[in-house]
Amino acid sequence: MGYDMTLLKLAIKSTLNRKASVLLTLCTIAISVMLLLSIERVRHDAKSSFSNTISGTDLIVGARTGDIQLLLSSVFRIGHTNNAVSWKSYLDIKERKGVAWTIPISLGDSHKGHAVLGTDATYFTHYRYGKKQHLAFQHGRAFHNAQEVVLGSDVANKLHYHIGHQIVISHGMGNTSFHHHDDNPMTIVGILAPTGTPVDKTLHIPLIAVDAMHKSSHTQPMMIGKKSQQNDHAQHQHGNTHQHAEDNNSHHNEHNEHNEHNEHNEHNEHNEHDEHNEHNEHEEHNEHNEHNEHDEHDHPHGTLDSEPSDLVGSPNQITAFLMGFDSPLYTLQVRRNINMYKAEPLLAIMPGLTLRELWDMLDIVEKILLLFSIVVVLVSLLGMLTTLLATLSQRRRELAILRSVGARPIHIFALMSSEAILITFMGCVAGCILFYGLLLTANPLLQSQFGISLTIGWLSNYELTLLGVIMSAGTLMGLLPAARAYFYSLADGMSIKI
Amino acid sequence: MITITDLIHTWPTQSHPTLNIKALHIDKGERVFLHGPSGCGKSTLLGLLAGINALQSGQIKILNTDLSTIKNTHKDRFRADHIGTIFQSFNLLPYLNPLENVTLGCEFSKQRRKRLTDKKTDMTTEAIRLLKALGLNDSQLTQHVSKLSIGQQQRVAAARAFIGEPELIIADEPTSSLDEDSRHAFIETLFNQAGDYQASVLFVSHDKSLASLFDRQISLLDINGV
Repeated sequence: MGYDMTLLKLAIKSTLNRKASVLLTLCTIAISVMLLLSIERVRHDAKSSFSNTISGTDLIVGARTGDIQLLLSSVFRIGHTNNAVSWKSYLDIKERKGVAWTIPISLGDSHKGHAVLGTDATYFTHYRYGKKQHLAFQHGRAFHNAQEVVLGSDVANKLHYHIGHQIVISHGMGNTSFHHHDDNPMTIVGILAPTGTPVDKTLHIPLIAVDAMHKSSHTQPMMIGKKSQQNDHAQHQHGNTHQHAEDNNSHHNEHNEHNEHNEHNEHNEHNEHDEHNEHNEHEEHNEHNEHNEHDEHDHPHGTLDSEPSDLVGSPNQITAFLMGFDSPLYTLQVRRNINMYKAEPLLAIMPGLTLRELWDMLDIVEKILLLFSIVVVLVSLLGMLTTLLATLSQRRRELAILRSVGARPIHIFALMSSEAILITFMGCVAGCILFYGLLLTANPLLQSQFGISLTIGWLSNYELTLLGVIMSAGTLMGLLPAARAYFYSLADGMSIKI
Repeated sequence: MITITDLIHTWPTQSHPTLNIKALHIDKGERVFLHGPSGCGKSTLLGLLAGINALQSGQIKILNTDLSTIKNTHKDRFRADHIGTIFQSFNLLPYLNPLENVTLGCEFSKQRRKRLTDKKTDMTTEAIRLLKALGLNDSQLTQHVSKLSIGQQQRVAAARAFIGEPELIIADEPTSSLDEDSRHAFIETLFNQAGDYQASVLFVSHDKSLASLFDRQISLLDINGV
């Protein structure tokens, strides 16, 4: 007909003519859309990163406590576990029929606020997360002896650790542990690829190291395994790194705060350092900015040389253990047996089930969040309705003029409703732009503070549906002033009423 | 041009008819001055003629078309095609410039656009020609309508009524907001344009001092039998 273009042109010009009020309305809609999309994206991604924390594990077994408490402590490293599973019980249950694998877990120590997890080699072969993915090494390999440690990717990134570094594990949790196991430095031999789970924030050490550490700290300040043969290479490398730091210190004062330097200050008492003064590689110091890279290039060989040895030792107890079965059919049977275990009170949970229970507890919170953001959107749309209705009486003249040049009542209706649609649409577009802006700025923060990594992809079908619902709601709102305008134009006829 | 017979119109909220016209005839090219005090049914009559108010009883024929026989949507099209309207004041859409306000007169009428095509011109060219003929200068064509004087605004409204040569021009007290001198000048330009293609003009006003300028004067009180 050609009228459509005319009407759209008129609608746009009429809307632009009332810039101030339209812009305000548009802003409220945009902000509410941004809020709704952000909350939904965070909700969705938090849920998926939450339920992807552990998979492929049939049972988690620990000392008797609450289901959720056991899950939180063993998988999320949240809360303290005072009770433990005796090593004897572990060995006993491990031998049960149908058990495919077990992973012992010993928690309770920390390194600069990061959890330290004692385990054995099965951890790297059987632990799975997300969609049954295995842990992968970004650098290096699994530990072979009591002096080796494998880092989660966040730990390595945050503390700027690299293969070959030596670190000290503290006894107890948190940054402010009183007792440092500083007689027991450990060499980093592996860094795991990022998983988006608490594994990233964990340091993994062999069970034997946990045991040795605690024995030494509780009995006498002996240096456990200090001069062992396997460790020699690593210490050699360590001396090498230390040399860098020392040279940096003396020649380049501006690098005093270099991370490695700090690290090495903790080791200044170590007598090995002096033995390695003949390592002078001065040409490297010109590129001290790439110092970290040098370490990576220089060190892997030495640290990877150690031979696999006993990782378990003779622990008395562990915090918990994970179990996998040959067939899921065993799960319920074994679970019942463990829950009625005679030797000590134990608890076996199915992680998938408990994860869901835990999420259901948070369900009401997410529902309230969703409700709030929906209400905000509704309020912004009602704001638009108010503005449109308020301007309507001023626009009766405009409608009479349009009628006089041949516009039909239905054209008036279309004109008025297209304005609401236009404002809602622009509000949605602006809201999406704000949403992506917020996503890009908030993502690093959420990642570092809460371990939730947001997907910055194109809008999901769900989000598009939300936008569709908002558009429909906006259109419905627009029908009201449009209907009023329609009846005005019928009643007013040709006369202009003010 | 216009033939009215036995027209009776009663507003739903009133018990007595507002209009009761036995017969009224206006010829093609005739300039008629319709006067009467306010509230006597002038606006109602114009609404009925324009096909905006629904016909209740009697007959209105415009250009040999019986308005009672055509549907509402066709009435709107009929009005767009054949009737140009000038209101008392504030005739213009504030978000369109004078030129766009004039071409708006053609937007809803294929027939008006066709007449322009037949004259080998287009909407914009014709709008500029009309505006200039009515006394606006180049710079005023695209400036904001609020910058125009009321007299100039009424000229733009007249140009919108005339574009595409509708056969009937209805002017509803278009001069009431103008001063004495402007009134005469405005009516003169109105007649010039109408004379160009023999349009009929139905001019409604309560100001009898203008009546002498017209071919015929009708008092609504005289023909309205209520």
